[in-house]
Amino acid sequence: MRCHIVPPHMLERIATDAGDPALRARARRTLALTSAHSSERRTLAPTAPEPNEDFVPNRTIHDAEHRERLPGRTVRAEGAPATGDKVVDQSYDWLGVTFDFFEAAYRRNSIDGAGLPLVSTVHYGDDYDNAFWNGEQMVYGDGDGVLFTEFTGPLDVTGHELTHGITQYTAGLEYYSQPGALNESVSDVFGSLIKQWHLDQTADQADWLIGAGLLAEGVRGIALRSLKAPGTAYDDPRLGKDPQPGHMDHYVDTYRDNGGVHINSGIPNHAFYLAATSIGGHAWEKAGRVWYDTLTGGRLESDSDFKRFAAATIATATDLYGADGTETRAIREAWNGVGVSP
Amino acid sequence: MKVTVVRSGGFAGIEQRAESDSARDPVLARLVDRVDLERVPPPGRIPDQFLYEIDIDGDRTTVGEAQLHGPLRELVHHVLGHAR
Repeated sequence: MRCHIVPPHMLERIATDAGDPALRARARRTLALTSAHSSERRTLAPTAPEPNEDFVPNRTIHDAEHRERLPGRTVRAEGAPATGDKVVDQSYDWLGVTFDFFEAAYRRNSIDGAGLPLVSTVHYGDDYDNAFWNGEQMVYGDGDGVLFTEFTGPLDVTGHELTHGITQYTAGLEYYSQPGALNESVSDVFGSLIKQWHLDQTADQADWLIGAGLLAEGVRGIALRSLKAPGTAYDDPRLGKDPQPGHMDHYVDTYRDNGGVHINSGIPNHAFYLAATSIGGHAWEKAGRVWYDTLTGGRLESDSDFKRFAAATIATATDLYGADGTETRAIREAWNGVGVSP
Repeated sequence: MKVTVVRSGGFAGIEQRAESDSARDPVLARLVDRVDLERVPPPGRIPDQFLYEIDIDGDRTTVGEAQLHGPLRELVHHVLGHAR
């Protein structure tokens, strides 16, 4: 039996220490392919922008015309008028909102902090039930219409994918096991915060859902994930039940899904929810600021587990609000609340 | 031969699983003959991509959707298609 889903540190050991030369070569090849996607990572911070500089997005939307080839035909460039294709125009608008959020909330100029063009491909594949970030661009399917609707629909899906880009250019959290679940979680956190910012909601008004509106009519569920109540987003005969835990007591050990990155993300997701609702007000201003600074501040290592991430958020909060600040205490209690003791 | 396909990952993170036996499925039998699990490239770690775990009589590999081509792709969709 062979399995490719091996943590990077194990691959590195196999690549150098394995007795079988074929095994060593294979591990090296996997590492090369994996690191190809983090090679775009910026090691030096981009030049600081002028304080009053207005950042402008540079968006391009492509149409895959239901094939699986990237990027596809260019259908809308920055500043061009609406095309009349609902999916194309929705993607263009949501990229704009996401770009504006990171500028307004954290003075960030695009994914890389240096004005990286935003590229989306829509109408990808046939009945394709997915959206992903491939290291360079966003890709969206139209859904099969039976279980899922268009993945361009919910704003938080675009926010989630674009945040994968930001993580790639900053902390570079490895997409495996706990660092992978953190990578997923920060995408969910900022996906939700972008929606809250767009709707001008406070923490107690927000739905804290990811993928609300994505499930087709007749599917039993309200969304794909809930930061407020992990494990309760759906329970459907065809999709099964939302498997997310909200506490370390229910952490799921699996090698599938890169070590359960979409499952165990429920734990840090819920920690953020607890912190943000305890602090109150606009969640992107304080709890969101702490998570953003932690992700982008250079303090977080790419192989951080939940404990190290939690400790880094508390250190960031201490810098911003003091060790005894109510915000810092709320964040400390939030991690305790999900069973992570930094 | 017994063939099991498990799809994991994807934005939704919802697992899909299906199995079939080539003894009762001539299309699958022909696909199995054309597939070499030893020659499958590693999946990489692309956020939210689908991962397909393919098990043919205990010989197992995992492939990312970006590397799913040719007869292996046909096999995966054939087996998962039967699950719906």
